[in-house]
Amino acid sequence: MAKIKKKGQSGQAKNYITRTQAVKKLQISLPDFRKLCIWKGIYPREPRSRKKVSKSATASTTFYYTKDIQYLQHEPLLQKFREQKVLEKKISRALGRGDVGDAARLERNAGRPDQTGKPRYTLHHVIRERYPTFIDAIRDLDDCLSMLFLFANLPSTTSVPAKMIARCERLCHEFQHYLITSHSLRKSFLSIKGIYYQANIQGEDVLWLVPYKFNQRVVGDIDFRIMGTFVEFYMTLLGFVNYRLYSSIGLKYPPKFDQTKDDKGAELAALTLEGVNLATNDDTTKAIANGEGHGPDPKVQAEVDKLVKKLRTESDADKADEEMGEGDDEEEEKATDAIDKFEPAAPGGDVLPQPTYSGNDPSKLFANCTFFLSRETPRQSLEFILRAFGCKRIGWDSILGEGSFTTDESDPSITHQIVDRPIIQAATAEQGDGEDNQTAQKLGPNQRYPGRIYVQPQWVWDCVNDEELKSPELYAPGAALPPHLSPFVKPTQGQYDPTVPLEEQETEGEALDAEIEDAKDEAGSEEEEDEVDNDMDVADDNDDDEEEDSDAEEDEEEEDEEDEEEDEEEVLQRQRELEAEISGKAVKSKQVDPKLKAKLDKKKALERKKKEEAEDLERAKGMLSKKKRKLFEQMQYTNKKKSTEDMKLRSKRRKLEKEKAAGKA
Amino acid sequence: MKSKPVEKKRKARDEESDSESDDELGNGLFDGVLEASEDEEDYIPSDEIDDGDSESEVSDGSEDAEEEDEDALLSDEIPSDDDMGKLSKGAEELEITEPGVDPKPKHQEEEDRNYKVVKDANGGERYVYDEIDPVYDSDDSDAQGPVNTIGDIPLTFYDSYPHIGYDINGKKIMRPATGDALQSLLDTIEVPKGWTGLTDVNTGNPLNLTQEELELVRRVQHGLVPDEGYDPYPDTVEWFTSKQETMPLSAAPEPKRRFLPSKNEAKQVMKLVRAIREGRILPYKPPEEREREEEEKEEVQFDLWQDEEPAAPNPMHIPAPKLPPPGYEMSYNPPEEYLPTKEEREEWEKTDPEDREKEFLPQKFNSLRKVPAWGTLVKERFERCMDLYLAPRVRKNRLNIDPNSLLPKLPSPAELKPFPTVVQTIFRGHEGTVRSVAIDPTGVALATGGSDGTVRVWELLTGRQVWSVKLSSEDPVYTVRWRPTKDAFILAASAGEDVFLMVPTHSSVTPTLDQASRDVLAAGFGYATNGQQPATAPGKEPAGKWARPGTKLEDAGVLVRVTVRSAVKVITWHRRGDHFATVSPEGQRSSVAIHTLSKHLTQIPFRKLHGLAQTVVFHPLKPLFFVATMRTVRCYDLQKVELVKIVQPGAKWISSLDIHSGGDHLIVGSYDRRLLWHDLDLSNRPHKTMRFHPKAIRAVRYHKGGLPLFADASDDGTLQIFYGKVPNDQLESPTIVPVKQLKGHKVVNQVGVVDIDWHPREPWCVSAGADGTARLWM
Repeated sequence: MAKIKKKGQSGQAKNYITRTQAVKKLQISLPDFRKLCIWKGIYPREPRSRKKVSKSATASTTFYYTKDIQYLQHEPLLQKFREQKVLEKKISRALGRGDVGDAARLERNAGRPDQTGKPRYTLHHVIRERYPTFIDAIRDLDDCLSMLFLFANLPSTTSVPAKMIARCERLCHEFQHYLITSHSLRKSFLSIKGIYYQANIQGEDVLWLVPYKFNQRVVGDIDFRIMGTFVEFYMTLLGFVNYRLYSSIGLKYPPKFDQTKDDKGAELAALTLEGVNLATNDDTTKAIANGEGHGPDPKVQAEVDKLVKKLRTESDADKADEEMGEGDDEEEEKATDAIDKFEPAAPGGDVLPQPTYSGNDPSKLFANCTFFLSRETPRQSLEFILRAFGCKRIGWDSILGEGSFTTDESDPSITHQIVDRPIIQAATAEQGDGEDNQTAQKLGPNQRYPGRIYVQPQWVWDCVNDEELKSPELYAPGAALPPHLSPFVKPTQGQYDPTVPLEEQETEGEALDAEIEDAKDEAGSEEEEDEVDNDMDVADDNDDDEEEDSDAEEDEEEEDEEDEEEDEEEVLQRQRELEAEISGKAVKSKQVDPKLKAKLDKKKALERKKKEEAEDLERAKGMLSKKKRKLFEQMQYTNKKKSTEDMKLRSKRRKLEKEKAAGKA
Repeated sequence: MKSKPVEKKRKARDEESDSESDDELGNGLFDGVLEASEDEEDYIPSDEIDDGDSESEVSDGSEDAEEEDEDALLSDEIPSDDDMGKLSKGAEELEITEPGVDPKPKHQEEEDRNYKVVKDANGGERYVYDEIDPVYDSDDSDAQGPVNTIGDIPLTFYDSYPHIGYDINGKKIMRPATGDALQSLLDTIEVPKGWTGLTDVNTGNPLNLTQEELELVRRVQHGLVPDEGYDPYPDTVEWFTSKQETMPLSAAPEPKRRFLPSKNEAKQVMKLVRAIREGRILPYKPPEEREREEEEKEEVQFDLWQDEEPAAPNPMHIPAPKLPPPGYEMSYNPPEEYLPTKEEREEWEKTDPEDREKEFLPQKFNSLRKVPAWGTLVKERFERCMDLYLAPRVRKNRLNIDPNSLLPKLPSPAELKPFPTVVQTIFRGHEGTVRSVAIDPTGVALATGGSDGTVRVWELLTGRQVWSVKLSSEDPVYTVRWRPTKDAFILAASAGEDVFLMVPTHSSVTPTLDQASRDVLAAGFGYATNGQQPATAPGKEPAGKWARPGTKLEDAGVLVRVTVRSAVKVITWHRRGDHFATVSPEGQRSSVAIHTLSKHLTQIPFRKLHGLAQTVVFHPLKPLFFVATMRTVRCYDLQKVELVKIVQPGAKWISSLDIHSGGDHLIVGSYDRRLLWHDLDLSNRPHKTMRFHPKAIRAVRYHKGGLPLFADASDDGTLQIFYGKVPNDQLESPTIVPVKQLKGHKVVNQVGVVDIDWHPREPWCVSAGADGTARLWM
C-alpha cells in the first residue's frame, strides 16, 4: 500500500505560503515584512484553488509564492532589519532600567554605521535587482513620479518629515529639468484631479499626475508608514534615474542647488545645471537660467540667439564641433531618427501602416515667444510646460516667486500674456486713479498692452497637445473656452468621439429618430389644427421612441403588443378610408408630410428587421449550452453597456446641439 | 604568645643542660627542637591552673631579666653544669631584684611541682608525675569516677551478689544500700535537690542532677542552644570596611603591580590607536557635523546601470498594471455631453461610494483658476500603494472574440418552413377558458370544450360554429378528442365523472357517415357483457357505467355516457378507434381506465400506481401504453401485461406527454417550465432539455401528419413551434430547432394557453386559451 499523503506536502500547497507563515519563516515583524515586500516588489498571488493551497482549516487571505519568500530569505536587508531590532531592544532595555544616558548613547551611536549602531541601509542593490536595465526602470516610473510629485506638495507632519518633502521636491525639479533640457515632454492634460504629463524617455511613455498647487487634504485612514516606504524606494530610484538621465545628456548630477533662491520660491530656477566639461558649461547654463544674464533689449538678444542657433546648426552639419550640449543632441537625433517614407514602387503590394513623423519639433513650439504669467495663473506648471516646449523667456509677477525673466508686465519683449481673470464690466471711470493698486499692475482692469496676445492657460495645453500654436481668439480672456480634451484617448471604432461631428458616428436608427423628430417639430409648428388622430399617432410614436431610448432591453411582449396596436391602427385607418369613400367625402386622412411618412416607414422597416434579428438571436441562444450562454450573455452585457453609454452621450449631444441651434435662431 | 617560647626555651634549656653538656650549640638549631618540645609541654596540663597562671605571671614580669640572664649565660664561656637549685637560685635572685612582684616562697614552688623525682633502676633520676585529676572542662574522657567494668552484661546478673561490678582497679563496687519502703516514702516526701526519681544504671544510686544539668535539660527540651553563654547571633565585626583605618589590618606592603603600568592595557590601547590610525574607528564628532556628513552621504549617486545586461523577464513575474490614462470626462473643461444630468447626479450621490461605477462625477469649470484641489488624491494614491503591495496579481486572458461567434449556426427559419406563423382564425364563443381543442381526422372540423360545460364544433377555416351542446352546468368540459379514424365521426368529451361520446352534425358529415358513426356507438349496447361489468366486487362501484345520456342529449347527438369513479381530465384514443383511455388524477387506483367502445367495457389496468397519474398515451405502432405520473413516465406492454421501462425526464411535475408517430421519441412538458425530448432507444434520460418558457408548460403535441414539427403551450400565453426532425438512421440524433414563438393569447388568472392540436396534414395548429378563444395558426 502506498504511503498516505499528508495535506500540504505536495502539489500546489507547496508552491504557496500564507503571509503569517512567511513572516514566521523570515523571523521578522510584519511591518518589516511589508517593507521588504514593497521594496523587493513581492506581491501576493491568487492560487487557482484556495482550498487546495491552504494548509489550515481557516481561510487564509493572502498567499505568496514560496519561491518568492525563499528569495527574500537571502536579502541582505533582512540582516539590517534584525540589527535594528536588536538595537531597539537595547535602547528599550536601557530605558527600562532608567538608564537614560545609556539609551541616549545607543541612540546617538545608532548613527554610526561601523560600530554597533543603527543599521544604515541603501536600496540601490534592490533597484538594480528589480530593474536590471535602465529601460525597465523607466517603464515603471509612472507610479514613482506620481507619488513623489504628490509628496512634494504635501504639508509636513510627523509622519511625513519636512526633509522627505524637500528631497521629493528637489528630485522632481531635477527630473523636470531633464525634461526641459531634453524636450522629451510630449503631452499634458488638465484634469479635475491634477495635471497629467506624458513624456517620452528613451522611447518609453511615462505618464504621471501632478496635483494642483493647493494644500492636500488627507482624508480617511491613510497609513503614511506604507506610503513612506514607497516614497523611500521611489526617492532612491528617481535619484539614480536622474543621474543616468543627466549623464546621458552630458550634465553633471546633482545640479547646483541654490538655497537662497529656493527660499524665495524660485522652484525650478533654484537648480543650476552644469555640463560635465567646462567647454559646454556656459551653453547649458544659459538654457536653464531663464535669461538671467540677458541684456536690456530682449529683441536684440532674440536675434542674436537666432543667429547663434543658425550657426550652431551649421556647425552640426559640418560635425566640426564636438559639443555636448542638449541642443546639439537634439539636432543629431533629428538627423538619424527621421523616419523614411516608404512609397510603394509597384502596385499590388499590401499597404502597411506607417508611423508618421511629426514635423513639429516639440523644442521649437514656443521658441519664439516670450510669455508673461499673470498672478492668478498656476506658475509652476506653466513654467515647466512652456520651457519644455522651447520657451526661453518667461516672466511673471514678483508675487509668484523668484526666477522670472522679468517681473515687469510692461516689458516690450513680451509676446504672449497668460491671463485667467474675467473681464470686469464696470469701472472704466476708475482707470485714472490706478496708483492705489500694486505697482506691478499699472493698467486698469480691462486694459491691455498693445502688440501682445492675451490667452487663457488652456491655450498652452491645447497647443502642446495639438503640436501647433492654436489660434488665440478662442482662448481670449473671459471667452467661453472650447472643451479641453484628453490627448490620451485613442479613438476606437464605434466609440463615441466628441471631436467628430455627430452625423458621422450615430447609428442609422438614431439618425432616423432624430430626423423624424425634427420633421415632427416642424410639422407641429406648421400645422396647429392637426387632427386628433394624427396627434395621437404622433404621441404614440413618440412614446415608442422614448421607450426604445430608455429601455435598451425591451420586453418582446411589449413590442408585440405595439405591433398589434399598429396593425389595429392600420385597420382603423383603412376602415376610415372606406367609410369616407362610402360617404363620398374626401379622405380625411393624416395629412402627413410624405417625407415624414417615408421616414416613418423606413423606421418601421428598421425596427422590424431589428426584431427579427433579436428573435433569431433568441433562438440561437436557446441552443447554446448553459456555460456558453452565460459567457455569451456576459459579453453581450459589457458590449451593451458600452454602447448604451455611447448612445447616451450622443443623445445628450444632439440635445445640446439642438438647443444651441435654437438659441442661435 | 611572645613570652611563651622564651619561657619554654628556658625550660628546655634546663632540660638540655642536664642531658647534654655540649654548650656550643647554635641558637637557631636549637630553636626548632624547642618548638617541637613546646607542643609536648603544651599538652601536659598542669594540675593546678592557678599554678600555671602564677607561673606565667612570673615569667611575664621577669621577661627582661631572664633575657639578660640568658645573655649572661651565653656570654659565659664555660657552661656551668647547672642544676635546678642553681636555676631556682637565679630566680630567687631575680625575684629579689624585682620588687614589683610579690615573691613566692621557694618551698611552694617545690610543692607546686607535679612530679616527684625517683631513682630509677639505673640509678638515674626518674620523674614520676602525679595523677591528673580531670575536671569537667577537661578534654579527657577516660577520667571518670568509679566506673563499673563488668562490660556489656545486664546488671541482673549481679542480683544475687552484694556488689554490682568491679571498678577499674578490680575492686568490687558495692551495691548501694536501698532504703526500705518507709525510707522510700520519706524520700518521696522530701525531695532532695536534683532528685529525678531515676536510678543510675551503672551505680544503682538514685540519679540526681545538678542545677546546671537540669538547666541544660530544660534548654534542650525547649530547643534552645544548650550552652547558655553562646550567642547565635553576635554582632558582626566588620574587619574590612570602607572606612580608612588608621591602623591597616594588613601590614602587607602595597604590591608592585599597583605602581607599574599594565602591559595588557597598553596592548588594548595600542589596538585602538592602530584602529583609529587606520580609520577603522572614527573619532567622535559633534552631532551637527555628523548629521551634515550623513546628508552628504545620502546623496551619493552613481550610474547604477553602468554594466546593465538585459535579463530575461521572470515568467512568473507579473508587472503591476498601469493606471488607465484619463479620459475626456476627467477634463476640467469636458465636452458638455459628458456632464451628468440632474438625475444621474442624484443617483450617483444616492449610491454607496463602494457601489459607484465611477468614483467621480465629471465637472466643468469655466476657467482654470476655479479648479480646486482634488479632495481624495492622497487617498487614491494610498489605495494604489496598497494595491501594489497587497493586491494579488493574476494574469487574466481576456476572451477577445466576437460574441456572435459563440452562437451555433442554425438553419434559417425559412429553410425549415412550413410552420405556423400567424393567427388565421379566432374562435370566439366560449365563456371562460377554452379547455380543450381537437381537429377531426379529416381536418375540416374543430371541436372545443370549455369551462362553461359546452362542447362546440366549428368550421376550421372560417371559424363558424356549427354545433354545440351543453354537457354539464357545473362541471367544465376538460377534454374533447375525436375518434382517430375516418370511418366514423365520433367525438369524446369529458365533463366531471362522465365521458360522453357524440356524433356532432357538420357539413362534411354525410348521412351514411353519420349512420356509421351511430352504429359504432350503438354496437356496444348489444354486447353481452353490457351492464354486468366483469370483476366488480359486490358493493363496490363498477369501473365504468355505460348508459344512454337521456333523450335531450341524445337528440343533440350525444349518444353514450360512460360514468367512471372520479372526474376525467384526459382522454386518449387508441389509433384504431376501438379503445380509449381516460385519466382522472384524483381517482387513486382507478385513475387510469381503458374503455372498449365495441364492448362498452371499462377496465382498470393498474392495481396500484406510483404517484398521481397525469396523462396517458398509446404507442402508435406497438401495443405499448405510456402512463405519466408526476415524476416519471412508465411504459407498459398491454399484451404481456408488464412494465417495459421507466423514463425519467427529471421534471418535477409532468403536465403533458406526446409520442412521435415513429414511436421512438417522446416529448414531455412540465409545470416547472421544461420541455423534454426523449429518445426512447437511447436513454431514460432526456436527450434535450429546452427551457424557453418563463411559465409552466401545459401541453405538448407532435404533428402527426408527417411534418417534422412539434409545439408546446405555456401559461405565459405563447406557443412555441419547434422543428424536430427524426432521422431515418437510428444512429443519428434528432435535429431540434426552435423556429417560432406564437403570441396572441392573453393571460387570464396566470393561465395562458391550455391546449394545442395540430392539423392532421397541414402545418397548422389550433390553441385553446384561457382568454376564451381558440386560435388557428397557419
